[in-house]
Amino acid sequence: MSTSDQYIVEMNGISKSFPGVKALDDVRFSLKAGEVMALLGENGAGKSTLMKILSGVYQRDAGQLTAFGQDVEANLTPRKAQDLGIAIIHQELNMCQHLSVAENIFLGREILTGGRLNTREMNKQATEVLRSMNVDIAPTTIVGTLPLSKQQMVEIAKALSTNARVLIMDEPTSSLTAHEIENLFTIIRQLRDEGRGIVYISHRLEELHHIVDRVTILRDGQYIITMPFKETTLPEIISYMVGRDITEKYPRVPSSRGKLIFEARKLQAGRLVRDVSLKVYEGEIVGIAGLVGAGRTETTRVIFGADSREGGQFFLDDKEIHIRKPMDAIRHGVVLVPEDRKHDGLCVKLSVKSNIELPNLDFLSNKAGVVDTKRVTRVVKEGIQSLGIRLPGAEVNAASLSGGNQQKVVVAKWLARKSRLVIFDEPTRGIDVAAKVEIYHLMNKLKEQGIGVVFVSSEMPEVMGIADRIVVMCDGRVTGELMRNEATQEKIMALATQFEKKLDVAVGQ
Amino acid sequence: MGEKSNQKSWWRRLFAVRGMGQVITVFIGLVILCVVFYSINKNFLSERNIANLLRQIAPYLIISIGQGYVLITGNIDLSIGSVIGMSTMISATLMPHGMDPWLATLITMLPCLITGAVNGFLVATAKLPPFIATLGTMTIARGVAQLVNGNMNTDAIGAAANDWRSVLYYGKSLGIYNTFWIALGIWFVFNFVLSKTRTGRHIYATGSNIEAAKLSGVNVAAITTKAYVVSGFCAGVVGLISSAQAGMGAMDAGTGYELFAVAASVIGGISTLGGQGILLGNIMGASVWGVMYNGLSLIGAPVAWRNIVVGFIVVLSVLIDVIIRGGGFSKARFKAAFQKGSQAH
Repeated sequence: MSTSDQYIVEMNGISKSFPGVKALDDVRFSLKAGEVMALLGENGAGKSTLMKILSGVYQRDAGQLTAFGQDVEANLTPRKAQDLGIAIIHQELNMCQHLSVAENIFLGREILTGGRLNTREMNKQATEVLRSMNVDIAPTTIVGTLPLSKQQMVEIAKALSTNARVLIMDEPTSSLTAHEIENLFTIIRQLRDEGRGIVYISHRLEELHHIVDRVTILRDGQYIITMPFKETTLPEIISYMVGRDITEKYPRVPSSRGKLIFEARKLQAGRLVRDVSLKVYEGEIVGIAGLVGAGRTETTRVIFGADSREGGQFFLDDKEIHIRKPMDAIRHGVVLVPEDRKHDGLCVKLSVKSNIELPNLDFLSNKAGVVDTKRVTRVVKEGIQSLGIRLPGAEVNAASLSGGNQQKVVVAKWLARKSRLVIFDEPTRGIDVAAKVEIYHLMNKLKEQGIGVVFVSSEMPEVMGIADRIVVMCDGRVTGELMRNEATQEKIMALATQFEKKLDVAVGQ
Repeated sequence: MGEKSNQKSWWRRLFAVRGMGQVITVFIGLVILCVVFYSINKNFLSERNIANLLRQIAPYLIISIGQGYVLITGNIDLSIGSVIGMSTMISATLMPHGMDPWLATLITMLPCLITGAVNGFLVATAKLPPFIATLGTMTIARGVAQLVNGNMNTDAIGAAANDWRSVLYYGKSLGIYNTFWIALGIWFVFNFVLSKTRTGRHIYATGSNIEAAKLSGVNVAAITTKAYVVSGFCAGVVGLISSAQAGMGAMDAGTGYELFAVAASVIGGISTLGGQGILLGNIMGASVWGVMYNGLSLIGAPVAWRNIVVGFIVVLSVLIDVIIRGGGFSKARFKAAFQKGSQAH
């Protein structure tokens, strides 16, 4: 091809197997200088694997890789890729929490003067990179003391400081606030204009139009298509990703509001939960919207008894209940499906079965504490079947499941006991389109069973698509409530940014 | 970062050095301990006792440096005590047979370094849990210690080694026993490596997040192995000191020292979870250890009580550390120090 000289990365016939799985099969991929290429596909499509091969984390089994016109051997390592000018920002943050920002940025390629670390020079250069990104972080700050979003910025700074000409970003926005995302996009455009090639992996398709030039779509480890972004549409992209048309991205089950199930009255806990009241009725899904840091997660944790509160009451089925610790909430049937399912929701090293039985051992064991294994097997089987969890068997480790299936296991363990209120915190974060729809179906199913459903989400289309009633929070307070037929993005946004006057200045500290 | 502001805020910069909070806390505790012992027995701060005290601290300091390296990489070395035993048995077996003490020293160090390398290989390359791997080498090294002289303690190492014994233990330079100078020398070298070189930085990175280190191009297996070799080296030196002190080799020499080394490191602020701590803390940790033993024996406390008290101190120091970190106290202070620092430049 006549234009081939402008490609800075070309991958052809790439295959990669892991024990028992063919992760990539004859996949091709190309990247030009000065473009942003979106690499799309469902979870397990092979996007991350392909990019890990390009950045030397994994070694390919077969296929050719050309970078900057040079053939690259199959024994690429992260170090060699870095020397070639290829840098990757991993999805799961890879920072040394105990080291400083500058120490992390220069890890593996420290600046030495006469064999000694030149801390001053590294701090100086780190400051320059961060400043060029418009990020205000001191290079001597210990990374572990930074919030996740800032750590993400440090990761990006680390990649930039290598002067990479190919920059791979794997889900870079999942932990960023709207403002930070905007900032990141500005940086990405700037990098593109400098003639670097950027590979952008994201599940947030809504973001793509801000930055993307071309898209490549993978499905089940196979190459599907590459096309200019301008010549396609989101529904088309989605149909290529899932191999079928998703007729309804947000399936809604019509229902009428029944009696009051749960009420939280005037909750008070620190700065992020102030005078928060919340009612949940039978037959409705309540969505809690707001910006990152609005206190939504904190509110759910207080309701679940995971964090202590300074004030407030709870009522379940018109009776006051006392929740001081998670066990109290669980006993009353008020349960939480936390945001970080790997960390807070599951014991990932234990089997699916153990995970489901764990919070239910009180009724699954007799007075002497001996577990009734027959009953466990039955309860686990019921849970797996009713939620449609796809797995080889109940004995597999929870860690081996996909994000969507892990989420279902968390729900299954709560449904095993007759729960009255299920609170989901960002249930669809980091899972693919098809799995998201399944989670929506799951919430709908709970709703139909007369179980109260509350879910926290940062994705506005999702909140508007699924919730029957939307509660908006800002800075630790409930700033408004909208029924679904009156809700618009603009109204939600207006409520979500309704800061108190005096705090305008203090926010952002 | 003008020179002027540096001079003004030297104490602030001191606190900004990572791990310094714990070091200063322990130092204050150490001073209080000394005052208490001195008030009970004035001999505690006599010239003679101070010289003794420093010599007692030395072996603890040396082994805690090795253990500190290993702990910072996020691992543990349980073989230290046995390597000490192996070192003293090998050196004290060779010397009575007329071998030049310095040649014997070199030969002795070899298996100690090899043990470290084997530990490193088992943990970093074969990926065995460090607890199990070094438990194995600990048992093997103790067996070797028993084997070298036919399951008997050695004879006296003889007059030919008197000079050698003086250099390692009995002699003094500048009024202080050589043992202390040896420990201090080892400390300076390894402190420099840990805080000022790329290897040192990579040791911290490996312990802090091994995955991140790997993805940044750090050879984590080599780094871990280096740390274990340092630990083997330190244990070997202490074994030689033990030979010099006793003038013979005892098969059970060094028993339990691996845990003393953990204790001295932890008291000084090195986290058993890896990635945290500085070797200055080990000077404090080893000193607390030495002062407790020396002071308690000086005031006539039975040995049993010494063990109990010292054990309490280990638990207490970790507990204080956990409480301080959990309460965010040190973090807040930390942040404040940084913010003030960054305003200055």
